[in-house]
Amino acid sequence: MSKPEFVYTTYIETSAEKLWQALTDGDFTERYWFGHRVTSEWKAGSVYRFAKEGAPSIEGKVLVFDPTKRLAYSWDSCSPEAKRERTSRVTFDMEPRGKVIKLTVTHDELDEGGVTFRNISGGWPMVLASLKSLMETGHALEVDPPSATQQEAACA
Amino acid sequence: MSKPEFVYVIYIASTPEKVFEALTDAKMSERYWHGNYVESDWKVGSPFALRLSRHDKEVTGEVLEYDPPRRLAYTFRAAHDGHASEKPSRVTFELERQRDQVRLTIVHDGFEPGSKVVEKISLGWPLILSSLKSFVENGTVLHAPWHDEETATSKESAGAK
Repeated sequence: MSKPEFVYTTYIETSAEKLWQALTDGDFTERYWFGHRVTSEWKAGSVYRFAKEGAPSIEGKVLVFDPTKRLAYSWDSCSPEAKRERTSRVTFDMEPRGKVIKLTVTHDELDEGGVTFRNISGGWPMVLASLKSLMETGHALEVDPPSATQQEAACA
Repeated sequence: MSKPEFVYVIYIASTPEKVFEALTDAKMSERYWHGNYVESDWKVGSPFALRLSRHDKEVTGEVLEYDPPRRLAYTFRAAHDGHASEKPSRVTFELERQRDQVRLTIVHDGFEPGSKVVEKISLGWPLILSSLKSFVENGTVLHAPWHDEETATSKESAGAK
């Protein structure tokens, strides 16, 4: 039987360059990703980290860095309840469709029935809806993040 | 193995009333549904149709639930592209207010095993609902002249469980 994975597709009216920047620039992610800033050197193999007000929430390594086409990173949640779960993987695929970008997020290598799977299944639709609104209207959504991400502990 | 179904959640900066209207109003649906539109008097038990502008067949069904602005459900029988032999499936929309947004959940289920329709709608709904979100938030719809090819090709699943 296949491991659980989460796949979500959305269509955003923007350019591939702007969307790529929104995925990799901390000033952007802070606006649509529940206040979490991403930092990284953005080379394959380099580390990246999301942090909110200085407290780390997610970290991992950059697996694929192919600007305007594909971004992938490993995903370790800093939440204590997800500590024993294995490292999962997030892949962003961007395909231009005329004036619109088709963005597909695949989150896989997840633990069956795990906390991470539950949290990301609730979280991605919020983050991606907020991203789409920010790109198209200049306003991100004010959404309540999934409860577990509020009780963050520092990553090791 | 679990039965095929499609579940998708999208957040829209609007009110449940406006989103519900966009789901049930023929003129509004025609904008974000790229020329297709819904038609019904929206009484439980009444006929429902999704008129397809690029096909001579259409999707037909029956209104199962009409509870504005919270829930809407209808059966979904696709007659285009040789799908007429499949039994009708079911579409359910749930709208919940969350702060200044609406959390819209669509569940499309009731497919027979090996359904071809579930493959099509799994590609179609993310585009339609993305376009609906743009329409309700900005008054513009996604410019998608490639809409037909998008839903006709590719074996990938997009949000299907």
